[in-house]
Amino acid sequence: MVKAVDQADFECRPGEIFGLLGLNGAGKTTTLRLLSTTLKPTSGTASVAGYDIVREPEKVKSKIGFLTGNTALYPRLTADEVITFFAKLQGMTDGNIEERKREVFELLGIDSFRDTKIDKLSTGMKQKVSIARTIIHNPPVLVLDEPTVGLDVITSRAIIELIKSAKQQGKTVIFSTHRMEEAAKLCDRIAIIHNGKIAATGTLAELQKQTGLSDLEDIFVKLAGE
Amino acid sequence: MQIRQIKNIYLKEMLDTLKDRRTLISMIIIPILIFPLLMFGLGSLVSSQVKKAQAREKTIAIYGEEFGPELTKRIFSQEGLVRVDIKRDSLAEFLHAKVIQAAVEFSPDFESRLSRGDTAGVEICYDETEVKSKFALGQIEQVIRQYEAELVEAKLKAVSLSKESISPIRVTPKNLASPEKMGGFFLAMFLPYMLMILCMTGAMYPAMDLTAGEKERGTLETLLVTPASRLDIASGKFLAVLTASFVTGVLGTASMTASSLMGFMTFDEASVETVSATLSISPLSIILVLVLIIPIACLFSSLLLALALMARSYKEAQSYISPLMIVVIFPAFASLMPGFEFQTSHTFIPIMNTSLVLKDVLLGTFEWERIGLVFLVNTVYAAVGIYLAKRMFEKESVLFRI
Repeated sequence: MVKAVDQADFECRPGEIFGLLGLNGAGKTTTLRLLSTTLKPTSGTASVAGYDIVREPEKVKSKIGFLTGNTALYPRLTADEVITFFAKLQGMTDGNIEERKREVFELLGIDSFRDTKIDKLSTGMKQKVSIARTIIHNPPVLVLDEPTVGLDVITSRAIIELIKSAKQQGKTVIFSTHRMEEAAKLCDRIAIIHNGKIAATGTLAELQKQTGLSDLEDIFVKLAGE
Repeated sequence: MQIRQIKNIYLKEMLDTLKDRRTLISMIIIPILIFPLLMFGLGSLVSSQVKKAQAREKTIAIYGEEFGPELTKRIFSQEGLVRVDIKRDSLAEFLHAKVIQAAVEFSPDFESRLSRGDTAGVEICYDETEVKSKFALGQIEQVIRQYEAELVEAKLKAVSLSKESISPIRVTPKNLASPEKMGGFFLAMFLPYMLMILCMTGAMYPAMDLTAGEKERGTLETLLVTPASRLDIASGKFLAVLTASFVTGVLGTASMTASSLMGFMTFDEASVETVSATLSISPLSIILVLVLIIPIACLFSSLLLALALMARSYKEAQSYISPLMIVVIFPAFASLMPGFEFQTSHTFIPIMNTSLVLKDVLLGTFEWERIGLVFLVNTVYAAVGIYLAKRMFEKESVLFRI
């Protein structure tokens, strides 16, 4: 039996950007799905924003903003309809929703295309709508699964901005990637995951000390190889 | 399970569904248009062809006219029948080429046999597959029968007998079927079948779009991360598919009923009775039809949802679902089979049981015990279907099928 995630054990703190670094098939997506309660662990548990993922999954979901690289929007609905739908699912009241939409749309510059159908939007615009969806309920935890994969430098910017501003607001951010430069630039702390196991955890400085190497890519190859 | 969440999801799925052109076409446009198109489009095409065939003149060849001069004269004094001369051996060729419509041949002993009191033979060559040819045959036969009737009457007079003496018995069939029964007959046969087929097709696109379609677009995972539970999500989607199924069924059968009413009025004046009888299908029957179709629509919706959820893409879902159509068509056919009597064992065969009961209801026969039992049995089946769909939504292997 293959263990997609084998005894992962790590901690992410508020105001911190935590990176889950690994190759394709390492178990990053599975780990994040476990944390966001879309998958159930066969053993063990985790606590997200104070709630246990096994015992109180619904509460966990209300505290998370989840984003993947695939924008995952409904092509026939307008940007406004999509955001309203997800806001309702998060249990926000109508008044709350309108106010928060005003805030978020202005922040992300969505107002000009809020009534356009999703399939008519450019990738960059779709990305913004996805981000809006992720933060509409102002969750304390952001779980981002390879959020910049397939995006060019310009369109990735919005995501990078989101991550940075979330940290500034004291939110907990965990995101997975296989791009070493991205992880090195953004993350406060990194966990290297390989074949389902966490090979090492720490700040970039700590990992450099541990391996005696300075480039994250070299560090990764060394630690993953062990 | 939260009603609020189910409502959120249901409303969004309905909004999304109504914005999908494919679903709109299959759910609203096709059921409304298909029957008028078939009835009037096809019907009027056929009848205009028939009228054309009737109107144009028909060319007839005659062989051995010297043996039947009187009849020959009568035939060509008919309006629209024109004489033409063709070599005997080219007859078949010209008939197939539609140059002539029929050929009449009198046997050489025609007149002599007639005067002797024996049966005299006349052969008419024609093409059964050509409308005009058949009309020509009909016209010629009519002339011959008229002539024959005159001959017979003259012979009877000669021996002081009347026409009645050779047809001593007059049979009068008397139909005691109630007007409702007569009028409802056509609809009673077709409506149950069409209703169930339509419920099935109405559920198909939404079921695929809301599951496999979502998987393809990657939106299913995003939905699963929201506080809405799997059960809420499954319920909201199920209700949306059920709505589409029901709407398609009802719209289609309403359209069919209206079309057939107008069809009767246009084509068959003698069926004015049928029209008023069809209109007199009681509201009770209509209500019962709607009520009885609900568990069937639930059964279709839940099974299609469960099946489509197993697929990775829209196309794959289509390949799972298409064979299901055949499974539905056969038992639904029961209402169309004349003389197919309801037996107790039929109560437990879904779709077939409903087809037969709906036929009875539309004919004005209300066997309450049977109706109640069929409703109950179908509800049980629907509950099983819903349970299966729910279980599908809980399986991670199904939801995250890569």
